[in-house]
Amino acid sequence: MEISIAPLNLLAIAPQIVVSVTALVVLLVGLFLPEEHRGRIAWPSLAGVLIAAGLLYYLWDRNDLTLSAMLRTDGYSLFLNLIILIAAALAILFSVDYAGRVRLPRTEYYSLLLLSTTGMMLMTAAVNLITLFLALEMLSIALYVLVGLNRAEQRSGEAAIKYLVLGAFSSGFLLYGMALVYGQVGSMALDDVRVHLLSTGSQSPVLLWLGLGLMLIGFGFKVALVPFHMWTPDVYQGAPTSVTAFMSAGTKVAGFAALGRVTLVAFSGLQNVWIWVLAVLAALTMTIGNLAALRQTNLKRMLAYSSIAHAGYVLVGLTAANRTGLDAVFFYLFIYAFMNTGAFAVLIAAHRLGSSPVAGENLDDLAGLAEHRPWLAAAMALLMFSLTGVPPLAGFLGKLYLFSAAVEAGLIWLAILGVLNSVVSAYYYLRVVVTMYMRDKKGAEVVPAPLCPALQLGIAVAAIATVFWGLWPASILNLVTITTRSFFGG
Amino acid sequence: MAIIMAILSGFALTVVAPWLCRLARGATGWIIALQPVGLAFYFASQLHPIAAGGVIALSYPWVPGLGIALSFYVDGLSLLFALLISGIGALVVIYAGGYLGEHPQAGRFYALILMFMASMLGLVLAGNVITMFVFWELTSLSSFLLIGFDHQREAARAAALQALLVTGAGGLALLAGLLLLGQAGGSLELSTLLNEGRAIQSHPLYLSILLLILVGAFTKSAQVPFHFWLPGAMEAPTPVSAYLHSATMVKAGVYLLARLSPVLGGSEAWHYLVTGAGTATMLLGAAVALWQTDLKRILAYSTVSTLGALVLLLGMDTVLSVKAAMLFLLVHALYKGALFLIAGAVDHETGTREVTRLGRLARAMPVTAVAAGLAALSMAGLPPMLGFINKELLYEAKLQAPRASVLVTSAGVLANMFLVAVAGIVGFAPFFGRRADPPRMPHEAPLAMLVGPAVLAGLGLVCGLFPDAASIVVSAAAGAVRAEVTAVELKLWHGINPVLGLSLLTVAAGVGLYAARGFLRRAGSIGDAIGRWGPRRWYSLLLASLNGLARVQTRLLQSGYLRRYLMVIVLTTVALVGSTLLLRGGLTEPVPSLLDARFYEWTIAALILLATLMAVLSPSRLAAAAALSVIGYGVALLYMLFSAPDLAMTQFAVETLTVILFVLVVYRLPRFASLSSRRARLRDAAIALLAGGLMTALVLTAMTLPRDLHLATYFAENSLLLAKGRNVVNAILVDFRALDTLGEITVLAVAGIGIYALLRLRLEEPADSGSSQPEEEV
Amino acid sequence: MEIVLAFIIGGLYAAGLYMLMRRSLVKLVIGLALLSQAANLLIFTLGRLIRGRPALIPSDMARLVEPFADPVPQALILTAIVIGFGVQAFAIILIKRAYQTVGTDDLDDMRSTDVMHGSSSAPPVNLPNDKWRSPVEATLRDEGA
Repeated sequence: MEISIAPLNLLAIAPQIVVSVTALVVLLVGLFLPEEHRGRIAWPSLAGVLIAAGLLYYLWDRNDLTLSAMLRTDGYSLFLNLIILIAAALAILFSVDYAGRVRLPRTEYYSLLLLSTTGMMLMTAAVNLITLFLALEMLSIALYVLVGLNRAEQRSGEAAIKYLVLGAFSSGFLLYGMALVYGQVGSMALDDVRVHLLSTGSQSPVLLWLGLGLMLIGFGFKVALVPFHMWTPDVYQGAPTSVTAFMSAGTKVAGFAALGRVTLVAFSGLQNVWIWVLAVLAALTMTIGNLAALRQTNLKRMLAYSSIAHAGYVLVGLTAANRTGLDAVFFYLFIYAFMNTGAFAVLIAAHRLGSSPVAGENLDDLAGLAEHRPWLAAAMALLMFSLTGVPPLAGFLGKLYLFSAAVEAGLIWLAILGVLNSVVSAYYYLRVVVTMYMRDKKGAEVVPAPLCPALQLGIAVAAIATVFWGLWPASILNLVTITTRSFFGG
Repeated sequence: MAIIMAILSGFALTVVAPWLCRLARGATGWIIALQPVGLAFYFASQLHPIAAGGVIALSYPWVPGLGIALSFYVDGLSLLFALLISGIGALVVIYAGGYLGEHPQAGRFYALILMFMASMLGLVLAGNVITMFVFWELTSLSSFLLIGFDHQREAARAAALQALLVTGAGGLALLAGLLLLGQAGGSLELSTLLNEGRAIQSHPLYLSILLLILVGAFTKSAQVPFHFWLPGAMEAPTPVSAYLHSATMVKAGVYLLARLSPVLGGSEAWHYLVTGAGTATMLLGAAVALWQTDLKRILAYSTVSTLGALVLLLGMDTVLSVKAAMLFLLVHALYKGALFLIAGAVDHETGTREVTRLGRLARAMPVTAVAAGLAALSMAGLPPMLGFINKELLYEAKLQAPRASVLVTSAGVLANMFLVAVAGIVGFAPFFGRRADPPRMPHEAPLAMLVGPAVLAGLGLVCGLFPDAASIVVSAAAGAVRAEVTAVELKLWHGINPVLGLSLLTVAAGVGLYAARGFLRRAGSIGDAIGRWGPRRWYSLLLASLNGLARVQTRLLQSGYLRRYLMVIVLTTVALVGSTLLLRGGLTEPVPSLLDARFYEWTIAALILLATLMAVLSPSRLAAAAALSVIGYGVALLYMLFSAPDLAMTQFAVETLTVILFVLVVYRLPRFASLSSRRARLRDAAIALLAGGLMTALVLTAMTLPRDLHLATYFAENSLLLAKGRNVVNAILVDFRALDTLGEITVLAVAGIGIYALLRLRLEEPADSGSSQPEEEV
Repeated sequence: MEIVLAFIIGGLYAAGLYMLMRRSLVKLVIGLALLSQAANLLIFTLGRLIRGRPALIPSDMARLVEPFADPVPQALILTAIVIGFGVQAFAIILIKRAYQTVGTDDLDDMRSTDVMHGSSSAPPVNLPNDKWRSPVEATLRDEGA
């Protein structure tokens, strides 16, 4: 029988291929390396990520549908993949020393990290419900495993169980939603859903609404929107810190990429319906996230709640559903990757400086950090200020962008709620700064441990990025606006 | 360009200051002061062109997408502030050199105060409202760090945080207001906005804009009811109080009001809100000040009063009131700055700031005493000080107020009576009053700590005698606020008129209050009542309730129980999906033909349901596993019957593997125990049945709706294009399935690696890993 | 038959959810398996049921003839089955390991993330069996700020 195979445009997904091949190579190489040399696997992994990032540059102005119209390589996916690769690269830098110290099985660790990166990168490009599901599962399963790898921690296994059960459960919702959409539209391609809705508009049957709603739950779980957020603190706390750093940034990018494509492209015809759903979700997410973070003294949990709140901020941009909004989402995700992974990296450093297995997790562990580690404390202070949105750091510009988009879209109440939330968040971020600068270390000895250069480099990159993109945002914003223009234009 | 340099040089010096401090030690203050002195001269040199109506404007792109530019706009108003900031800044830095001495953290102090100075300059020179906001927040931040400078003390930390939360929250309200202002005015550039006043005032968002911006200005300038952070901020080192919390930063709100008054001012809302807040603040601050006994707190409350008076004047929004406000800004900065610095010197020398323990210091500290006397005269508004000219102008403006002039004037007179008494308490009594018992016997303060008070108090005298210099600055500023050329002529003697009468009355009553101060203090304090019922209490209540809210939501949502998390998700879904189904009329009668099923199909269905029940209820693990496999094979049969043979094959294979794995592993786990209570089980069952019922309803609804056929035609027309295949289904089958399989293999590989990693973890762990204790790190 | 299937789906879903809300780890795995069956059947049903006409091209024909079962949802189900298998296999191993480290099959003994707060050396807190009451003690110890 003759089978006509469409020419596969593999070049368009070359970055994804590079990362996944690196994962396999790393796995094979790692199996033959003696245990004491496995730490070196970090470098080929990093190289793979950097090569993939280079390929992104090469592919920059493409707009290709590839693999039987299941993936689209366009500015949208390329830019978001850049963010994912940045997060991955930073996470690898942070792991160089940490992974060995907490005795993660490094071969599998790096390989899974890369596979999960691949899943995320596929997700930003997915324009078909099946691919979307597949990519989501690829990144999720890899993360389930990564979360559970921390052998020194009983919490790690628990976190993995919770994450897996809730994750599988909400993937179920995603599937139901897809089934409902397919049942109505008769196609799995997002573009087809769009065509369908453009012809029916808001007259479309209620099942499509429900399909969208169920899918929102699935994605909402991944990016930790309230009320689907409750796994976040438990999982972020239990997972190895380097994994937390990576997933807090990477999963959000992937999840918002999918949310963006589903809402802005596929369901653009139902905009007047989902805008309100998203607005309410954004309001809830910001508020609950910030409120919960207020009382945390465990830094990993605090950052987990803060990441929930930030998901709410980003959602404000998506809710605005205009170009400024998408610009804001892109810019915010970009700087968020630096801010948040950087903050977790400081916790890794503090772990190195303490002696207990959970050193660096409690607020008190940072007391007096400004005295004996002035640069580390300064970096953390910058990151905290940026997360709060203190000008002129990048976090401020990001929030400004998001809230301007909301004002532009007429969602003034949402913008004001966002601003109010920033006030609340100031309280707990500043507490970290106060602890580092205004409290003295109690009793415990200061471990004069040298920090791994890779970790230092990563933290420095993150801290400098918050300053740099705050003062000179034009370079990245130009890129963002070109991307979103082509997204809305085509 | 010089403007940029003025700001950048401050930030640059911030970075260098700690090193400089290590090198120059005691001389650091003098060296650093060169920068603000230079700036002051530069700004003074711009006075003439700008007084003639000139404006310096420049702009650099920053965030083009949002219309935000790093732009600067310098007119008379900016210049007045810039002069105050740099001039007083220089004196304060010199003073700090003496005040801090060999303090180990002195470097940090200089860095912070320079950062503040640069930010404050940026604030008043900014030409884009967002740029201005950036500097606005930077001043709040540096104020926070400076108040908490002495971070050993809990009080200092708490005060710092309180000040930051109040001004920071106000700042963010301001940001929201500015964004809306940009929306309404079509630009974020001051130069454009200043001409859009009419359009903005008729915009539907005007009231929200006004309210938000006023919250920003009022928090920063300590207006009632946000005033309470300012007395708290007195925990800061005295140079900071003198500089930030009296002369400059707290005036930022006044600056903002003055700056935006051509845009927002003149309306009824503006008038009532601004005048009202100003009057209340003026009276409250003045009254509470009299009952304080700590020098710095007295000064702080009198500053609150002055800020209120300034806001009141701007609320009146007449030519005369604006002139008076601008002059008052200058006068107040001079005498209050001096008094704060003197309070610091007294504290430094005697070891106390309690006025009841101070007296007769004039002999030991003659220079300080003279400066204090001059400053107090200016504060009390007595001739020949600049303060006198100022008070005359104030009364004149209030008498000529277009609305409620009697009310405003009497409030002004009342407040001033208190301030006269306060001036006596801080500037006269400690030096010339009855002898008291300070903890240390005082000496004259070192030179560095004399320069500031002497220069500031002396300027108050010189400008009073020769008011022309002051009038240039003030008229340039007033002209900028009123957007018209305004000549201000200042002179000491206006002849005998009602204003002079009011002045006499004020002074007489003030002296009376001063004399009765001991009696009044014993009689009880207004401050106490305000402390008990005032906004500070609301602030702590608000924090406590936020905390409580946080706790409640944590308790409700974040229990750590997996099942609670599931319940929240399920119940949310059920509520949303169910209500949509009901409200949108999605539920319809199912078509009977859909019930058409054959006998063996019924059998399979019954089998699956029975097995499900068994899987749930069976107390034995193996029976549950068997039931699972029955379900799996039953579903596989359904796939087979309804034209999906390959699904059936996969399902058979997967099911077999799962069951084998399950049995192998589960065999090692403990038996099922009945862990949950009956009630918990019933509740879970109810939730589960609800969710299951919803799923059934969804499927039934979906089946009754006709499938949309738009796409069938669309597909037919585009199949070649999209899938590059002749046959639609062929294309789907070949391409989709192939890719799927690739993806599935990858996912399986991921799971495989995970399983392998977990198993290997086990193998490598030491034998006692069964315990819950984590191993010690090596 | 669609109506019958709708009830099977509802039943499987309810049973799966009920099992997920139990405290035993093993029951969790059973719940996951039931849920994934329910999900697959749901997609299958919504893709419309057609008896005995698989989307296979007979050897003597060049193309499919209507009516035939829709292959697209089947592709999604196939993906879901395989992924579900991966997840379940991993879950089984994971609970085995969790049982070995914690020494219990009871999920409620696994709340250290909330109770212990930063000191993993503290032993898991024993809580009374009925979990419906609000775990006040636990959350009070949570976050001391």
